[in-house]
Amino acid sequence: MNTTLHDTAPKPLFARGPGLALNFFLLGCLSIALMVMDTTSPRFASARAWAAWALQPLIWVAQAPQNLAQLGDAFQPRDDLLAENRQLKQHQIELDARLLKLESLEAENERIRALLSSAASLPDRVLISEVMATSQDPYRHQIVLNRGERDGVYKGQALIDANGVMGQVIQVNPSTCVALLITDPDHGIPVEFNRTGLQTIALGRGDGQGLSLPYLAGNADVKVGDLLVSSGLGGRFPAGYPVGRVFELRHAAGENFMEALAYPAAKLNEGRQALLVWSEHGADPVVDVTVPTARPEVKKTQGEHERGGERAAQSATSKAAGKAASPANSAANSNKVGESARAPNLKLSTSTKVAPEKSTADTSAAGAKTSASGNATTGPKSRHKADSPAAAASPP
Amino acid sequence: MTRHSSFPAFISTVLLSLILQMVALPDVIAPFRPEWVAMSLVYWAHATTDKPVLVTAWLCGLALDVLFNTPLGQHALALVTITFVVRRLRSSLILFPLPQVSLVLALAWAAYAFMMFWIDGLSHHSAVPSLRWLPVISTTLIWPLAAMAMDRLRAQPKLRRLT
Repeated sequence: MNTTLHDTAPKPLFARGPGLALNFFLLGCLSIALMVMDTTSPRFASARAWAAWALQPLIWVAQAPQNLAQLGDAFQPRDDLLAENRQLKQHQIELDARLLKLESLEAENERIRALLSSAASLPDRVLISEVMATSQDPYRHQIVLNRGERDGVYKGQALIDANGVMGQVIQVNPSTCVALLITDPDHGIPVEFNRTGLQTIALGRGDGQGLSLPYLAGNADVKVGDLLVSSGLGGRFPAGYPVGRVFELRHAAGENFMEALAYPAAKLNEGRQALLVWSEHGADPVVDVTVPTARPEVKKTQGEHERGGERAAQSATSKAAGKAASPANSAANSNKVGESARAPNLKLSTSTKVAPEKSTADTSAAGAKTSASGNATTGPKSRHKADSPAAAASPP
Repeated sequence: MTRHSSFPAFISTVLLSLILQMVALPDVIAPFRPEWVAMSLVYWAHATTDKPVLVTAWLCGLALDVLFNTPLGQHALALVTITFVVRRLRSSLILFPLPQVSLVLALAWAAYAFMMFWIDGLSHHSAVPSLRWLPVISTTLIWPLAAMAMDRLRAQPKLRRLT
């Protein structure tokens, strides 16, 4: 360093006084007090939201290099674009054809579910959002999206992309929101194995590319390559979306539990868009507790059957509540965050599970249900397979 | 030179460091991102005496806490602490040549990383601990270059008038 004492310290003897130490002491105490209050109570949430809003310009500037790099995409040969356009149109036709089929399947599925007086339906309201920034802290897997309170985004809302579940919203600012990805070590999501219906919790591992399933019984039927789908327990995530695929199983000698590792299905590091999903439970948890009685969308043809089923369901609900609550509770308790399964959500998840199981109160219903969901849906949407072992075990 | 003559340079470098802390890097080198904010604050605490570095460190720390969604005060406490220590030891540090100062400051970066790690543990945020320590290495390596560049900039007569 080519500076000298003389020109850098105008008052070397008296410039520093007790003020410095006092300042440090005050600021340090203030920081510690803030930390304690911030971690124990949510009272700073709004201040944080406004600070995030005020710091928006900083994020824009920091993202500028990335955006500039993407300017290169704007210049492409015409032929390439034409070829791509042709390809996309072709793809669109294919997808349209499949969509036609899907609509009829959805209608059929709805009818069959109505017959079983099941409450599950697919969330239909989604909102596309742009990823504005990704957290540059390697220990926290978070992204900032350009939708906020104004667009009706709520805390705990699920986030998906074209391939699977990405995460959930943890903080809502006026015009942006922050989402926690499923790979964050603080995140847990209730999942089930698509092949066997086994339910468990997938935790983020924090290395950015893995999920860990630590609560598997040592003899659980799990194979490498198994698809994990969201189970919908806890009501926060819509059921049936792909979450990940198992790539490794670890049996620790002497341990009671087996651990499975999975890669997330969603492309977490790629792409600029994400879909915010209004899952029917998450948006309004209070309404859904009375799901078996209030269902206006049921068609008239099934009305009679429906009413019969409902009465049975209501009378059986109280008996079944204890039994059905136990898997949900254990799933929720083992959930590390607690964010993805809070108390009100827990309640409704038990009620939605109870209704279909008990409506006809014998095992044939369970059999019909699994076959129906297997027929009427494609791939990951067959969530009610999960219930079949439990329902079959119930005494006739 | 008047008392607050290099104030604009101070503010702009601190803002620049905040932005550098946020700029997206490829996944491979992202864990090695130097602690730019800590570096800029320590530079000013070490090179000058007339800047309100402690308050600036605190505000920058709060900004980082909001940007990275950590508990409010985590970055603030760590930044205030290392800025205070460097400002306190300035009269001894200024006597040593740059390589030796860089080595001593490696301890400051390690202290910063340790405080972040420690508060993470207290707030029950589990993370891969090795990742917390990688920036210590990169910051130690970048510091001499950054300090020399800043000294060079501040020594320019044209800029001296400006800053």
